[in-house]
Amino acid sequence: MLKLFKGVVVAITLLWGLLPVYGQKAAEIFIPVGQSPGLSGKYTSIGKITAIDVREQTIAVADSAGSDTVKITERTQIWLDKSKLKLTNQKGAFADFRKELLVEVKYEDNQRQDKRAAWIKVQITEGVK
Amino acid sequence: MRNLMAVMLGLLMLSACQSSAPGPGSTEALIARGKELFFNETFNGNGRTCGTCHPEENNFTIDPAFIATLPNDDPLFVAEFNPDLRENFENPRLMREFGLIKENLDGFDDLPNKFVMRGVPHTLALRTSIDSPLGPRTGWSGDGAPGDGSLRAFASGAVIQHFTKTLNRVAGVDFRLPTDEELDALEAFQLSLGRAQELTLPLPLKGTVPKRGQEIFLDNSLGKCNICHVNAGANASLGGRNLGNANFNTGVEALPDQPARLTGERVPRDDGFGTPGDGTFNIPPLVEAADSGPFFHNNAIETIEGAVAFYDGEAFNNSPSGRFLAGLDPNGVGIELDGTQIVAVAAFLRVLNALENIRQSMAFLDSSAQIGFFQRQQSQALLERAREETDDGITVLSGARLHPAAVAHLQAARRLTENAISSFFSRRSFAQQAIREQERARAELVE
Repeated sequence: MLKLFKGVVVAITLLWGLLPVYGQKAAEIFIPVGQSPGLSGKYTSIGKITAIDVREQTIAVADSAGSDTVKITERTQIWLDKSKLKLTNQKGAFADFRKELLVEVKYEDNQRQDKRAAWIKVQITEGVK
Repeated sequence: MRNLMAVMLGLLMLSACQSSAPGPGSTEALIARGKELFFNETFNGNGRTCGTCHPEENNFTIDPAFIATLPNDDPLFVAEFNPDLRENFENPRLMREFGLIKENLDGFDDLPNKFVMRGVPHTLALRTSIDSPLGPRTGWSGDGAPGDGSLRAFASGAVIQHFTKTLNRVAGVDFRLPTDEELDALEAFQLSLGRAQELTLPLPLKGTVPKRGQEIFLDNSLGKCNICHVNAGANASLGGRNLGNANFNTGVEALPDQPARLTGERVPRDDGFGTPGDGTFNIPPLVEAADSGPFFHNNAIETIEGAVAFYDGEAFNNSPSGRFLAGLDPNGVGIELDGTQIVAVAAFLRVLNALENIRQSMAFLDSSAQIGFFQRQQSQALLERAREETDDGITVLSGARLHPAAVAHLQAARRLTENAISSFFSRRSFAQQAIREQERARAELVE
């Protein structure tokens, strides 16, 4: 029993070193590009889409630091930020990506080593989806 | 004429005693700014402020008794008079009867069906109750904040959820999001509330039953309370390791006859942390528990005795946490307490709460006594806070007929605080007398 107990403690301790900080995503959809508290400007990348690869499910995003290829996974949440049109933000899909659109990318890993996106906000400034 | 000059001279001397205002950029100034925002800023929304659900005069939480004192046009009831918020924003019946608020923690894409009904957690002692090695834990399930999940970011999520004018929730139209400066100030204010430090148990308590309650609380083979509520706070410890404000599934959702569900109103199962949830909720601090019920994330239990008794029941002992504790027990028992033991642990928690009430009352009284003659309004606000804390101390002790001598001293302190509030010239003297009565009350509770 003591072994089990120690095992649980060790497992919890190890997991803590690996898991990212959790931010609630339900309300995040309503936060416009660049305004996510504690994330925007710190752990996100904001720039324009320069390339889209449907087969690889990636987009290239050019921000002030250069260009990054971002991987979209089945876990990635895509949101359409329509706040500039004074419309409700909505869930989006890979098909909503267009070159030249401004996006904000939050990576799963804050160090951005694996380039997989946790969420991507796409700023929509014209037209109504 | 000579008398008039003497009075003028006296007033001038008193005015020199005024405490100086906090300088710009200081922590005090940031906290003051945060307080102003917390209680007055609507963020261009539906009229609610943070203080709507976290009123200072009710321990920064709301309960049915407090709600019953509010006028019908209070912004808390906005769903009752704003046609845009009539559907799928709140459940007025559950709000008024049980103090429950609607939350869309798993998303806003199916408002009629995807929601949970939660009580309002107080915002006291946040400095001791948020940190975990997994990151900050806010709200009932630890995942209350968007962005980086911090207390600082929490306000943005609260504005989106609770302040919106319509269910469109368009930033810049239905509300405005707090600025960075406002988030800093709101965080500073919230972190300034209540205890800033953990207690160190055991305390040298005087009462026989609370003293026994403390022993049971600290006994990891009997009450087992101190495993998840170290020093009656909000942090867990396993095998000597501090787990911080950890999340656990304690089976609250499995409780039978939950009051809100008895009404027949729709109350979906609350899946706790994450989306979809893992069924866990984070640990609330216990020092402030006795005067801030109802208890648990769904306000399922009204009394502190009932909350302690929950851990003796099947819902807890069949839960993952209950089974985990049973796995550690040589006899395979989770938590098993008898009636007298449940009452003893609750009595201990009541005394802890009363001691915190006394600590806060004395701090408010002392601060009011430091304030200059002409800052009367500021002083009165502090005295009123002292009176509220004293009232809470009286209520938590007398609610279980504990320490009648302490209650008598608290009642005396209350009268003196009232005198201080209404007195023009003797405010400071009455406040100091009230502090002495608080000290006498404390001496009845603890060595």
